[in-house]
Amino acid sequence: MTQPGALTQPGAPVPDLAVTLAGLRLEHPVLNASGTFDALETARHYGPEALAPFPFSAYVPKTVTLERRDGNPPPRLTETAAGMINAVGLQNPGIEAYLDDLPLLAFVPVPVLVNIGGRRPGDYLEVLRRVEERLAAGAAGSPQVAGYELNVSCPNVGRGGLAVGTEPGETEKLTAAARALTKRLLIVKLTPNVTDVVAVARAAAEAGADALSLVNTVRALVLDPQTLTPFLGNRTGGLSGPAIKPVALRMVWEVAGALDAPIIGMGGIACGRDVLEFVACGATAVAVGAANFSGPDAPRRIVAELRAELVGRGLPDLAAVRGRALV
Amino acid sequence: MNSTAPPPAEQTCATATSGHYRVIERRSFGPYALLTLLAPDIAALAAPGQFVMVALPGTQFRLRRPLSLHSVGGERVRLLVEPRGEGTRELVELGVADTLVVAGPLGHGFPLERVRAALLVAGGIGVAPFQFVADVLRARGVPVTATFGFRDEGQARLAGAFEIDHLWVATDDGSVGRHGTAVELAREVGAGPHASVLACGPAPLLDAVRTWASTAGLSGYASLEAHMACGSGACHGCVVPTREGYLRVCVDGPVFALDLLGSGASTDASAPGAGLAPDGAKPQAAQ
Repeated sequence: MTQPGALTQPGAPVPDLAVTLAGLRLEHPVLNASGTFDALETARHYGPEALAPFPFSAYVPKTVTLERRDGNPPPRLTETAAGMINAVGLQNPGIEAYLDDLPLLAFVPVPVLVNIGGRRPGDYLEVLRRVEERLAAGAAGSPQVAGYELNVSCPNVGRGGLAVGTEPGETEKLTAAARALTKRLLIVKLTPNVTDVVAVARAAAEAGADALSLVNTVRALVLDPQTLTPFLGNRTGGLSGPAIKPVALRMVWEVAGALDAPIIGMGGIACGRDVLEFVACGATAVAVGAANFSGPDAPRRIVAELRAELVGRGLPDLAAVRGRALV
Repeated sequence: MNSTAPPPAEQTCATATSGHYRVIERRSFGPYALLTLLAPDIAALAAPGQFVMVALPGTQFRLRRPLSLHSVGGERVRLLVEPRGEGTRELVELGVADTLVVAGPLGHGFPLERVRAALLVAGGIGVAPFQFVADVLRARGVPVTATFGFRDEGQARLAGAFEIDHLWVATDDGSVGRHGTAVELAREVGAGPHASVLACGPAPLLDAVRTWASTAGLSGYASLEAHMACGSGACHGCVVPTREGYLRVCVDGPVFALDLLGSGASTDASAPGAGLAPDGAKPQAAQ
C-alpha cells in the first residue's frame, strides 16, 4: 500500500517498511505512544476517512488500571522548550468499563496492544487476567488484541508504576507473573528515570518479555514564572517531545547493544529521519507521542517521510539500517 | 492487514477538519490581531463557542494553540489573538497571505436554541467567542446585551473587534467605560428574568458570574480555557473539576453549564490577563 505523499521516483523500487516485532508483522514501524492518540475520538471528530488507511501499524490505547482513576488535579500539561511536560495521572474509567467499551474498537484494522498501569504489581496482573478472560469468553465484536504493554514507568502516579520500573527485581517478578498469564505479545515499557536502563531491560527480557518499549517520559519540573512555585497540579511531571530524543536514543542504543530483545523506540520522534535514527540505534519499531499533538496528519507525514528517507538513501528496507549505530 | 469492520454508526460524519488555511485579512486592535482565514469547510461546520487548534507550519515543536472562533461569515472564519507568549506572538505577527495549520471546529459550543434573551459577560481575551454568538442570536431576533470587562485602556482595544448592538464596557482602572468588572456591569445592566447568562473569561470572573447567576436565579453557560495538547479528547490534559468529576475542556466543553462548575473550575487561576505560561507561551484556550 502506498502512502499519500510518498516521494518515490518513477521507476525506483518502493522501499519495504514492513517490520516483524517479536513475531507480530506490522505494515510499517510506526505505532502511537499510549495516551497521545485516541482512535475513537479521532474518528468522531475528523471522520472515518482520517483513519483510512489507519495511520499507525498497531494501536496502543490509553493506559487502563484496575480501578477507575480520576487523574491529577489540573493544570496537567504545558509546553516547554522543544517539548512539553504532562502529569495527567492515568485518568481512566477502570478495567471493567474499558472492557465494556472494547467492542467499539472493532473497526480498528491493526493489532491492538492493551497498555496496563497499576498501583501495585497485583493490579497489573488482575487487569491482564480480566482482559484474557473477556477475550476468551467471546471474541465476537472484539478488536484484534495482539498483546499488552505494561506501563511500569509512569512518573505521575505516586507509588506504583515507576516504583516497579526502577527496580530490576520488581520488574522481573511482575514480568514473569504476567508472562504466565498470557501467550499474547508481552511488552514492558521502561522508564528513563534510572541510572542503569540495561539492568531493568535485562530483567524484563529474561523474565519473558517479548519486546521492550523505551522510553517513557523523563521526570521533570516546570515553575510558574510569576509565583515561582510548581506549575503542574501534580508538581512534577513527565517531559516528552524532541527535547528528550537524544536521551531516548542513547537508552535504545545501550539496550540494543546489550540485549537481543526487540525494541519499540520512542521519545521525541517528530519526523521520518527520527524514526530512521531509532532504527539505526537498534529499534525494531517506534512510537510517536507528543508529535501527535501537532495534528491528526502527523503519523501519516512521518511514515511518508520515512519512506522518502529510504528512497533518498537507496535503502530497500529498514533491516538495511537497523543497528548501524551500534558501533 | 485484517479486514476492516465499519466504524460505529455515530462516526460516519466528520465534525472537524484539519488543513492549511490562508490569512486573507488582518486587523489590529492595539496589540491584538483579528485574523480572517479563508476556510470554507471549517466555516460550514462551525457553531458559536467552538474553537480551533492553530499552529504555524514548520518543523519546530509547538503545542497548537486553542483559539475561539470570533465569528464566521460565508467561507471565512475570524480568530482574535492576544499575544501572551512566544506561541501567540507568532500568530499575532502573521500577515495577509500567510498560512496557518488549523484543525476544527472542535468542542461543544453555546447551546443557543432555547435562549430567549442573552446577557454576554466576558473579561479580557475571553470576549473572543461572542461576536459569533451575537450574530447567531441577532439573526434569530433574540435580544443580546454584552458586558465586557478589561484591565485597562490598552486591553479595552479588544472591544473594537465587536459589533454588538448593546455592548457595555468596564475597566479595572476606570480608564475606559465603567470603573469595575464585567460582572458588576452585568448585574447593573441586567437583561430581564428570562435571560441566559453566557460567560467567558478568567477564573475570578467565572466564579463571580456563577455566584451572581445562582443568586439571581439565572441559568447560563461558561466557556473555559485550559492548556491543551490534542484538542480532541485523547490526552486528558485539559480537564477541569466539575460536579461530574474532571471533564475535558476540549471535547466535554469548552462550554459548560454554570451549575456544573465548582469554584475555581477554570484551570486558569491567574488574575485577568495576567496569565503567562511557564515558558511564556500560555495557550489562549477556548478563551
